[in-house]
Amino acid sequence: MLKSTMRDRALRGALAAALLATIAVFGAPQASADETCNSPFMSNLIKGQEDYVYVWTLGAQGVGDGSDKLVTIDVNPGSARYGKVIHSVSVLRRGEAHHMGFTEDRRFLWAGGLDDSRIYIFDVYSNPARPRLVRTLEDLPETTGLVGPHTFYAMPGRMLVQFLSNSNDHGGVTGMAVFTNKGDLIRTYPMPAGDGGDGYGYDIGINPQKNALLTSSFAGWNNYMMDLGKLVQDAEAMKRFGNTMVLWDLKSMQPQKIFSVPGSPLEIRWSLNEGDNWAVVATALTSKIWLIKQDAAGEWQAKDVATIGDPSQIPLPVDISIAANGKGLWVNTFMDGKTRYFDLSDPGKPQQTYEKVTGKQVNMVSQSWDGTRVYITSSLLANWDKKGENDEQFLRAFNWDGKELTLAFEVDFYKERLGRAHHMKFGTNAIKAAYEGADGVVAAQE
Amino acid sequence: MKAPTAWSLLRSEPVSASSEMKAGCLLALVGLLIVGGEAAAHEVAAVKADFKAPAPGTYRLERIMASPDGRVVDSDRKRGQLSAYTRDKVTLLSLMYTACSDEKGCPLAFYTLDMIKRELEASPGARGRVRLVSLSFDPEHDTPDVMRAYGGGHAKSAKDGRTVPWHFLTTASKNDVAPLLDGFGQDVSRPSREEDRRPGDLSHVLKVFLIDRSGWVREVYSASYLVPQVVVNDVKTLLIEDGVALN
Repeated sequence: MLKSTMRDRALRGALAAALLATIAVFGAPQASADETCNSPFMSNLIKGQEDYVYVWTLGAQGVGDGSDKLVTIDVNPGSARYGKVIHSVSVLRRGEAHHMGFTEDRRFLWAGGLDDSRIYIFDVYSNPARPRLVRTLEDLPETTGLVGPHTFYAMPGRMLVQFLSNSNDHGGVTGMAVFTNKGDLIRTYPMPAGDGGDGYGYDIGINPQKNALLTSSFAGWNNYMMDLGKLVQDAEAMKRFGNTMVLWDLKSMQPQKIFSVPGSPLEIRWSLNEGDNWAVVATALTSKIWLIKQDAAGEWQAKDVATIGDPSQIPLPVDISIAANGKGLWVNTFMDGKTRYFDLSDPGKPQQTYEKVTGKQVNMVSQSWDGTRVYITSSLLANWDKKGENDEQFLRAFNWDGKELTLAFEVDFYKERLGRAHHMKFGTNAIKAAYEGADGVVAAQE
Repeated sequence: MKAPTAWSLLRSEPVSASSEMKAGCLLALVGLLIVGGEAAAHEVAAVKADFKAPAPGTYRLERIMASPDGRVVDSDRKRGQLSAYTRDKVTLLSLMYTACSDEKGCPLAFYTLDMIKRELEASPGARGRVRLVSLSFDPEHDTPDVMRAYGGGHAKSAKDGRTVPWHFLTTASKNDVAPLLDGFGQDVSRPSREEDRRPGDLSHVLKVFLIDRSGWVREVYSASYLVPQVVVNDVKTLLIEDGVALN
């Protein structure tokens, strides 16, 4: 029974006004397609067919212009250009292109260089088929004291960036920095060192409903820029990998708990099911899946719950992609080139149910929201990629029917004179700015 | 998709001024949207959250950006500057349009601000120091008269000076609203294909801005984090920063 108060009437009036004003309107249009790894603060995660895959590509000496570039591939099967490279934007230098992330409104794509510590901001909404570089942040080591911008995570009105290193000694002690969506620095946050913290950083994962921010840990510039063959022979350097994860209070940005997670925990994936209270992460050096979950008392705990391949062979799990329903997890292992599927029906006991060699080296894996399409790229780091004929560089698109990965198309990044294919993000044609301006920023149009 | 033909609103319990309002509560406000003769239920409810919001004054709110200024028109058709509504008080500003029917969009902002308003009015320290603003980015449709109707009793109460006022603003043209959207970093999009377009169909990320007395944006809330108790505590954090005794 409604209690009719002035406020209630006002509220009903407002909603009735909304109805009257929307005789022919049903809600805001849904963007149509998305990886399941994006920030929960992003609007309208794409749940249909993605139109494009953007690939942040490391420049390779002697390949094309040798520079890092953002490559756009048409991935809509209904397009005449399906499976083709349709655009690329070179940043005219080589700085160890690595990861990317959208702003929360999906208008801008931030991409970072681990070596030169630059951040490039691309406009991907004015013309999604032809992203455009609109700003470059060049002086981050000076302004932040941080090196190696890695994870770009959308928050309301701003971007939270996890760095890997610092400008003092190029080691693994690092921090996060938050910027406005336009690229202006707001402040930095050091990773906790001491009391069990190693000060290292890698990925960011947020669960807004829990006010929880999780971070993981990898290594500093001295390690990730070293030749992999030399690195594994350097006993001291091999000690300088992250072994922790940190739970932060999102609102106050204060560390709440530090977990011991040995072996460099990398990508963090929260279950996207509303009400779920867990995330998974894979450790690169120890080849494990860890579960971070609240116990019955509400206390957050981290637990080793599964093994990936044979850890003694160091398969090097490098990326994971969780299903939208939280019931499955793709795992790419770089060294053996395998793509594995784990059943996550019981996140406390992941079970591998499938594996396939998808390349001589594989790194990133992204799945469509409905899980029927899986994209894989090949490059890990310029100095860690394999040599000679094992240095394949590609994007491969697969269809997944629940039993078998079937190759749909592939793009050879060396043959196309592009470079080393690394991080992927999906793009869509579904929406465009209501008040378009020539510079990609909303502008007046009478 | 066919157009809706009717709304009716059902509420399981009256929304009360809730000093006990807690993150985690789910006050049901159900909008029943009948589409092409088929009923489909859409909920407009406070954002669910499963945590205890940090206490006011125990954390820092960063200066994110300066709030932009520009020409606006109030619901009495009086022209002025937006800065008159974003300075000298703590302000919660929602960018919206009245035709929005996304249950996680403008109706959610309206509903949540309504809850917050009552919570703040129960706090003596907030009276006279806090205001709410709803600013339309659809000036073609959202005339001052439409905004006044949209605001209902809240629009009238903005003038009495006794409560937490809620102002319903629009602009005279797209030329006036565009720089404000740019300044706030607010996206407004529409379907790219002509055949998908309908009059007034705008898409946007829901954003509510917390602005301090000096006009700095100190927090931005979107649909995933527009938790009433968090917002109230943020407002109180700014009041504490201003030296206001809340109790």
